[in-house]
Amino acid sequence: MDNLWLGLISGVLFGFVIQRGGATDADEMVKAHLMADGRVPKFMVAAVALSALGLYGLQSVGVGRVMVLPVSIVATGLGAVIFGIGWGLSGYCPGTCWAAAGEGRMDAIFALLGGFVGTLLFAQLHETLIPLLYLPTSMGPVTLTDWLGEPGGVLTLFVVFAVMVWLIGRLWGTPAEE
Amino acid sequence: MNKARYWGWVPTSIALTGVILFIFATFGPPASSSGFVTTLKGILQPIAPDYVAGKEHYAMMPGPGSWLMTFVLGMAIGGFIGGRTMKKKIHDVPEIWVKNFGGSRKKRYIATFIGGVLILFGARLAGGCTLGLFISGSTQLAISGLYFGVIIFAVAMITARIVYKKYGKGVL
Repeated sequence: MDNLWLGLISGVLFGFVIQRGGATDADEMVKAHLMADGRVPKFMVAAVALSALGLYGLQSVGVGRVMVLPVSIVATGLGAVIFGIGWGLSGYCPGTCWAAAGEGRMDAIFALLGGFVGTLLFAQLHETLIPLLYLPTSMGPVTLTDWLGEPGGVLTLFVVFAVMVWLIGRLWGTPAEE
Repeated sequence: MNKARYWGWVPTSIALTGVILFIFATFGPPASSSGFVTTLKGILQPIAPDYVAGKEHYAMMPGPGSWLMTFVLGMAIGGFIGGRTMKKKIHDVPEIWVKNFGGSRKKRYIATFIGGVLILFGARLAGGCTLGLFISGSTQLAISGLYFGVIIFAVAMITARIVYKKYGKGVL
C-alpha cells in the first residue's frame, strides 16, 4: 500500500515538473528535434548528469535500489529506431503522453491509446521476438563502471553529458519568444 | 495570450533530478512504459484471464495494484495540475503541425495514434522508454540506456526533419 502512494506522489511530482519544463508540449519537443530550441534536450541531459552523481552518492551511503537492464545490440537498437520514428512523428514519448493527456491535449490521448495498442501487439509477439532478437545479442547488464572502474564510470558520464549540454547550447537555436 | 513561459533548463533539470533521486531512494529506477503493461494487464485480466496468464510479457510485470501503475496515473494528475496553474494556451493540434499539415484534427490524431503504437512497441522490445531506459539506465551508468538514448535522439531528429518540412523563420 505504501508503494502505491509513493508511486502516485512520485508521478504527480514528475508530471508537474515535465509539464513546467514544456516536455508535454509537442511543439516544444518537435522544436527540440529540429534543433530549433535546445531547452528541452539540455534539461534532459543535465538531469541525467546530476542524477548519476546523486545516485552515486546515495549508493555510497547504502540508499536506493538499482536495477541495470541488459543491453541487446539488435533488440535495444531496433526498438530504439522504432521508438525514435514514433517520437519524432508525434512529439510524445510513453511518459509525456500521460502528463499531456492529463493536461487536456486531445492528440496526446490518441498517442496514449496508440500506446496501449503497441503494448498489446508486442505482448502478443513477445514469445517470438525475444528469443529471436533480444537474447542472441544480449551482452547482459553492462555498465560504464564495468569498463572504466569506480569512480571512473560516473565521472566520465558526468563530463560527457556536461559537454553535451554545452554542445546543444552551441548547435541548437534559441527561438525568439512570441 | 501566451505570456506564460516554461521553466528554463537549469531549474527544470534541478527539479527533475530531485524527483528522480527521490524515486531511486524510495522505490528504485523510475519507468513509464511498464505502466502501460500493468494497466493493460489490469484491463485484460477480467476479460481474458487465460490469455493473460499464458503470456510472458504480462507474467513478468506486476498487475494494476503496483507502483508502476500509480506512477503513470500520478503523471496524468501532475500534468493536469501543471496545465491548470499555468496561463499558457493548450492546443489539441500543435502549431507546427498546423503549419505543415493544416488544422485537421483527424489527421493529427491518426498521426499521434500511430506514433503511440510505435513508441510503445519499440520501448517494449528495447526494454524501456525515454524514462525507464534512457534516463533511469544512464543514471545507473547502464550501457543499454546510453545506447538506446543515442539512437532515439538521432532517429527522432531525422524523422522530424522529414515530417515537419516547413520550419524556421515564421514557423517556429
